[in-house]
Amino acid sequence: MDMSAALVLDGVTKRFGDVLAVDDVSVEVPRGTIYGFLGPNGAGKTTTIRMVMSIFYPDAGRIRVLGNGNPEAVKDRLGYLPEERGLYKKMRASEILAYFGRLKGMPAGEARSRARRMLGEFGLGDWVDKKNETLSKGMSQKVQILGTMIHDPELVILDEPFSGLDPVNVELVRNLILDVKRQGRTVIFSTHVMEQAEMICDGIVLINEGRKVLDGTLREVRQSGEQAIVIDYDGDGGELWRLPGVTRVNDAGKTAELFLAEGADPQQLLRLMVDRLEIRRFDMREPSLHEVFVRAVGGRGT
Amino acid sequence: MSRVLLVAHRDYVQNVRTKGFWFGIFFFPVLLSAFIVVPRLLEGTKSARRYAVVDESGWLLDAINRRISVEDLRLALDAAAERAGAPERVDAMPGPLRGAAADLSALPSADRLALAAVLADASHADVLPASARAVYDAHGSALGTWWSTASQASLRVLDVPFSFTRYLQLPAPPGPDAAEVLGQRVASDDLFAYFVLHEDPVAGTGMSRYVSKNLTDEDLREWFGSLATSEVRERRLERERIDPDIARWIQTPIRFDVRKLSAGGAEESIGERDMLRQWAPVVFVYLLWISVWSVSQMLMMNTVEEKSSRVIEVLLSSISPVQLLAGKIIGIAATGLTMVLSWLLAFFLATKYLPGLLGASPDLPLSTLASDPLLIGSFLAYFLLGYLFYAAILVGLGSVCNTVSDAQNMMPAVMLVLIVPLLTMVPIGRDPNGALARLLSYVPPFTPFVMMNRAAGPPTLFEYVLTTGLLVASIVIALWAGAKVFRIGVLLTGKPPKLKEILRWIRAPVGMVPVRKEAAQ
Repeated sequence: MDMSAALVLDGVTKRFGDVLAVDDVSVEVPRGTIYGFLGPNGAGKTTTIRMVMSIFYPDAGRIRVLGNGNPEAVKDRLGYLPEERGLYKKMRASEILAYFGRLKGMPAGEARSRARRMLGEFGLGDWVDKKNETLSKGMSQKVQILGTMIHDPELVILDEPFSGLDPVNVELVRNLILDVKRQGRTVIFSTHVMEQAEMICDGIVLINEGRKVLDGTLREVRQSGEQAIVIDYDGDGGELWRLPGVTRVNDAGKTAELFLAEGADPQQLLRLMVDRLEIRRFDMREPSLHEVFVRAVGGRGT
Repeated sequence: MSRVLLVAHRDYVQNVRTKGFWFGIFFFPVLLSAFIVVPRLLEGTKSARRYAVVDESGWLLDAINRRISVEDLRLALDAAAERAGAPERVDAMPGPLRGAAADLSALPSADRLALAAVLADASHADVLPASARAVYDAHGSALGTWWSTASQASLRVLDVPFSFTRYLQLPAPPGPDAAEVLGQRVASDDLFAYFVLHEDPVAGTGMSRYVSKNLTDEDLREWFGSLATSEVRERRLERERIDPDIARWIQTPIRFDVRKLSAGGAEESIGERDMLRQWAPVVFVYLLWISVWSVSQMLMMNTVEEKSSRVIEVLLSSISPVQLLAGKIIGIAATGLTMVLSWLLAFFLATKYLPGLLGASPDLPLSTLASDPLLIGSFLAYFLLGYLFYAAILVGLGSVCNTVSDAQNMMPAVMLVLIVPLLTMVPIGRDPNGALARLLSYVPPFTPFVMMNRAAGPPTLFEYVLTTGLLVASIVIALWAGAKVFRIGVLLTGKPPKLKEILRWIRAPVGMVPVRKEAAQ
């Protein structure tokens, strides 16, 4: 076990009455990486994160955060964006940012000047003294995420940071996450949308029904599965199933991921497809996280 | 600044910024001032009942007017005696009264009446008892001259309830058709009423008359009638040569000397001040009730708002639920204390200075009550204790609610408990050490209100110690239970739990989280 890892979960278990919410999960998140907690809704991601934040306590297992066996002792060095989040409506944007900073132990003056500077840097300069109730949804989301970073945390934990955001704001949040990584700090975020994780994660852990399904770097995880053929096409997707040698199809309508039986020839497949569909792209690569996940849990969930 | 104080500071600043807070700060003083000012303004505009008297007997009206004069002079002497202790109030009185005030205050009330009778020329100085005689010798001529020459206008400013401020006698026209003329004046509302006194009232064979458009307001008739009756009764005694002293003795009712037994066992005679002291706690109970209720409700609403704006989990990533709870309780307590102290200050200032500003002397020692250390001290102590008790319960309830309407659904149950001290306020005020008062003192939810209510008793030291001990213990338990519900409730979404479920949380060990689909995600 790497003692200097940003986060180490070792056999962590949490039970709510008869429900086993998190079951013997062990994960190691290296420093300076972006790490995804993936899984369907209700898999136990939020409960796991709440245990890291000392909001819940595990029934069994150990949690090491930033090399410290007592997560509560390092709370001030963590930034946390919960899934259920909001702002005090009557407070001003700069006030609430400074308040979050001070709750993390920043001196008052520093928290105030930092809050104003951050809002300016992220295009909210005109809203510094506006009440939070006047902010648009995207702006208040920005303020919330800035709130998790005002005290320069070594580890930022974001629970479903993309949920409910339009593409522009998704991009914005993604850039914020990449910024944190560039500064050598660690980001953990949870999502149930695999595509988001694929784009920026260095490592992931897949959780389903409270249990870890698999974990590792994105590359390791994907290489563990067989090669996939990805096509962009126009035409009747139903044809894909009728091609010889195809064992599985993840069809999204205009783009599809195909898996071949052992020994089947991709070139042969391409020739057959071109006759039946209009193929605009044909690509061989590692399977998508979605496919990896579906295989790992044996077709249950998503 | 510690995190707890940081939370408290934020809550305080945010609450003080709301309009509701300033409404609360100003509403009470405005209401109080209105209570003091409006009756005085109304009194100023209310005109005295104007009446006239046709005296067919030829002597009765003069005798009645002599009695009225004696009665009014006695009121002036009483006022002087009562105000003797307060230099600034004595100074406002005319010279003769000012000079005699100290001596008058040493006389029993009956002697002042006798002295008034002599001064108003209705009786002879020889009948005065020795002490009154001495006052008469010293101040009699000055007082007599002043009284016979003082104008009604100069008397009005003394703020004494002289009869002419209520009933103003106007001269009746001479001649046989006087009644007819007066009748027209009553019809045109120039007069409220007129009397026609029978030509031989002492004989009692005929009737006198009272004529008015308004027969439901009987004050004037009763007042004037009783004066006439007393006068006529005296004439009858004289005619039958019955000694007035014997007559008075025969008519003397059984009287009770009302005394209050103080805690030390000494008897004290009671006065207006004591009555006020007896009932003043009720005012404070009311104020206590309003402040405890509104301030702990403020805490509940704050918690619900924090939950519905979903900011709470962000806070919990920096501080523990108990720190958050403590910070909120302290922050709202500070808000409440600011409000309550401003109310007390307003109460003190209004009762002390407002009547003076209106040109009237404060006739009830309300301002001394507003600065009574026992009342103020126990008020503040019981405010804090009562607030902590209800705060612990309401913050627990607030933490399980997701919307304001959830919270409002829980209110009737709390109201049901809180209504009790309001219902028992008057019975306990009447009998501060009775069985009901004693019993309820030991019920922690009622202790602050009931003990405040009993301040006039006052309860024994033993009772203070025991009830406060019980209350503090209950507060500790309530805070403990409230904190347990709070730490589970704040993260709860969906339907608020049933009471049974909440009780299960309280019994469960710390850190245990209830089975709920929402929480298991």
